[in-house]
Order: sequence, then C-alpha cells, then structure tokens
Amino acid sequence: MTHREHPIWEEELMPYFDGQLDEAKASEIANHLETCEDCAAAVADAKGLSQQMTEWKVEDTSQKMRESTLTEMRLQERSKRSRQRWAWWTNRPVWAYGLTGAVAALVLLTVSVPSLLRSRESNPPIIAALSSPSEAVVTQQEFNKIQRAQPEAPSGPMIIRSARLAIVTKDFDGSRARIETIARESQGYLDQLTAQGEVGSGRTLSATLRLPSGRAETALVELRKLGKVRQESQNSSDVTSQYVDLQARLTNARNTEQRLTDLLRERTGKLPEVVDVEREISRVRETIERMQAQQKDMNNKVQFATIQVTVSEEYRAGIELSSPSAGTRLRNALIDGYHSAVESVLNAALLVLLCGPVLLLWSAVLIPVILLARRIYRMRLG
Amino acid sequence: MKSDEQLMLEFQGGTAAAFEELFERYRNPIYGFFRRRLNNAGRAEELAQETFVIILRGVEQYEPQAKFRTYVYAIATKQLWSERRKDIRAGRFAAEPQETSHESDPSTALWIRDALAQLDDGPREVLMLREYEQLSYDEIAEVLAVPINTVRSRLSRARTELKALLESQSARGISR
Repeated sequence: MTHREHPIWEEELMPYFDGQLDEAKASEIANHLETCEDCAAAVADAKGLSQQMTEWKVEDTSQKMRESTLTEMRLQERSKRSRQRWAWWTNRPVWAYGLTGAVAALVLLTVSVPSLLRSRESNPPIIAALSSPSEAVVTQQEFNKIQRAQPEAPSGPMIIRSARLAIVTKDFDGSRARIETIARESQGYLDQLTAQGEVGSGRTLSATLRLPSGRAETALVELRKLGKVRQESQNSSDVTSQYVDLQARLTNARNTEQRLTDLLRERTGKLPEVVDVEREISRVRETIERMQAQQKDMNNKVQFATIQVTVSEEYRAGIELSSPSAGTRLRNALIDGYHSAVESVLNAALLVLLCGPVLLLWSAVLIPVILLARRIYRMRLG
Repeated sequence: MKSDEQLMLEFQGGTAAAFEELFERYRNPIYGFFRRRLNNAGRAEELAQETFVIILRGVEQYEPQAKFRTYVYAIATKQLWSERRKDIRAGRFAAEPQETSHESDPSTALWIRDALAQLDDGPREVLMLREYEQLSYDEIAEVLAVPINTVRSRLSRARTELKALLESQSARGISR
C-alpha cells in the first residue's frame, strides 16, 4: 500500500492513539479511521493492550520510607540554614578575602616583632626561673612548659636513655640534698623520692630523676661522686622507626577524620548512614587521641632520660657502754632456765615420737633373731 | 494547584512544605517505576528514597527550564541502570523470580509481566514509560536521551510484539 492509496502511515497511528499529534493531524486521522477498518482495528488493539497493561498494579510505598525521606529533608534544611549563616563570609568577593588577609598579616607583624626583639634580649622565662638559686626542684608544670617548648619531632635519631646507680655513702643526709641540687641544675625534676630507716640504722634512699637527655651524662658524673658506686647500668633504645610509623598512622587517621567530617557535612546518605558516619568519626577520634598520647609519651621519654639512684647509708654498729643490773640478770637467767627445761622436755618427747616407730619395727625383727641365736648356741653347748 | 516546577522553586527558596507536596505527588509513581522493574520490593523502596535524596541534594542546581517530571524520571532511570549494572556484576540479574504485587489481578498481571520481560530492553523501557509513567514522547526521548523518532519506532514495535506475545500466551492458556 502506497501513501497515495492510503494517506496515513502506520507509524502515525500510535502517536494519534497516545495524543501526541497536533490538532490538525489528529483530526485528519480521526476522519480516516471512520473509513479505514484496518487502521481503526490497529487503534482499537492499542487501546485494548493499554487497558490490559493497567492490570499490573503496584502497592503504595510504606510509611517508613515516607518518614525517613522527610527526616532526611529536615536534616538537609538544617544543614542549609547553617551554611546560610556563614554565607556572608563564604560569598564575599575575592578582594574582600585579600583585604582581610592583609589586615591580619599587619596585626600579626605589629604584635610579634616587638615580642621577638624582647625575647632576644633576655633568657627565656623558664630557663631564667630554673637558673635562680633560690628555686627548688623543677615542678611538673614547669616541666610541661619546657616540653611544649621542645620541637615535637627531633630531626636526628630518637633514643630513649635510662640508667641505674646503686651507691653506698657515709653522708646520707648530704646525699639527699645533693640529688635534689643535681636535678635542679640539670633542668630536670625529681619524679619520685623515697627514704627508709631511722637515724643511726642503715638508711636507704631511692630516687628517680627525669633529666634532659643532653645533660644526663654530666648528672651521672655528679651522682657517682655521692659515694662508692656498687652497681651501675645504662640502657639506650632507638625508637626512631616506631616514632615515624606512629606519625604516619596519626596523619592517616587525621585525614580519615577530615574526609568523614566532609562526608557528614554533605550528608549524602540516609539517616542510618549518617549515624554510621558519626559513629565512625567518634572511633577515629578516639584512635587519634590514643596515638597523640603515645606520641607525647615517646617525646617525653626521648627528651628526658630516666636515672634511678639508690643510696644506702654505710652502717657501723656502735659500742654499748652500759650493762644490765644483777636483779635483771638473775631474772633473765631464771626465765632462760625455765625456757631451757621446757625445751628439753619437748625435745625428749619429739625424739620418742620420731624414733619410737623405728625402734619398735627393728625390735620386732631383731628380738626373735637374737632369741633363736641364743637357743642354737645353748643346744651346741648342751 | 501549583505546578511541580513552582513547588520546586519554592523549595529552593526554603519552603519545606513545597518539597513535602512534591514528595506526596511522586512517591508512589517513583516507587511503582522501580517496583515494576526490579524483583525486590525492599530495594525498589530504597531506590525510590535515594531518588528523592538526590533531588534534595541537587535542589540548588535545579533550573526551572527543565520539567520536574522529566528531571525526576531521568534521575530514577539513571538509578535503575546503575542498579542493573550492579546486579550484572553480582550475577543476580534475572536470577530471582519476580514477585507479583498482591494488588494485581494475579493471572493478567503475571501474563503482562512475563510478556514484558520477553521484550528487548529498548522497546520495553519506552512502552513502560509511556503506559505506566504516562510520559509524553518528548519526555521519554529526554529521559532516555534518544531521538523522538526512536521513541516512536520503539513504541510501535513494543506494542506489536507485546500483543503477539499476549495472544500466544492466551492461546496456550486456553489449550491447557
């Protein structure tokens, strides 16, 4: 069938049925359908098919899906409002950022240059406090200040140093004072100090000193002068690789935390996913804090050597010049005699109990043997 | 009644109620879109929700030149293709028998579903968008990113093939 014979193309029937043709064309086809049975049947088929297809119905969505989507929308809205609160800053033109940066740099220079000049003129306040003779041993707070002033990661190898010293001295009191002085002069501190014993008896003192690693050797020389060194040991442990590894893990954890925070800010998923991200952030934060504590502890151990000192007093027994009275001596002798008598009775009883069973056993064996031997002897004589 | 585009613009301006209205208009159609194309009802609901989440996230980029209806079905179609790619990678595609909704007349719905499953992807998608989502030819062309003549020819082919399949199914049913 040509277009001349049949004025409607077959492909035009479907758009007609679907209402996708303009009014003129639709009217033309409608007229044609009145006279063409084939085309009318094709349109009727399409209509029937469409009706059949509508038999496949689908249930409605659940209430849960509705609520979680609307919750997500509210979260999104809250985040948007929060962004808008900062929009006055984020939407500024570039020149505004430049101007703000220039003003900030100017303020920083104005504040920092005079204080930098002042710090060159005098010692740092911490060192000045430590060098004062009236100052006692460095306090924990001062130690923390010193530690903060130290660089976080030294460029060279990281060595943890420790030493043990056992010293015997005649001047016990002087030694204690000297240990405190050594700690102060070395710009370290006394971590722990314990003294035991009474005056006149052999006293002992145990102290743990935390001294800057660079000054530990000089301090050991001074400590050896306290008396006779009975025992000494030194130990060094290289923790450079552990420190580098810890640093790398810490950087990774911080990056992860940043990525998770960004993810939460963008809030791409559903509510349970947001809760999961928050839980993950909290876990990563905990890991970071644990690693920071390890790093701080490692820095502390590297920067400050540990020296354990045990000082024993050299004990000499004194001569007793006075003797007890005669009455006391008689009384003591009587009491000692009584104790001796009781002791001897007890010892005899113990001997009987100890040897009795053995004697009985051997008697049961030996007595019949002896009796038999005597009888044989008599028979030979008789 | 406000148009979808007006509601979307109001939501851009911060009116949460406008989105709620849009959501109420489209939540069942979008769910139906996924439900008729996927075997798993739960996954269909998740994908419907994800479609709305994408709209929420992209609200600031929405431009009123685009029809909201086309916009939302284009997102849903992309989600569907992505899901099918995942299914193919996981070896799940067409492995599970499709559940039929309890709302349907079991026999006719089953025939329709089985016959549709036998059509080629292209014609079937055009026919379903036309019959179930009630999209116009222009909208289908935009959603599937194909020329309008392709939509026409695919639709015509899909109807012819589906009619033949249903007739053969019907004949088999009667002969049994």
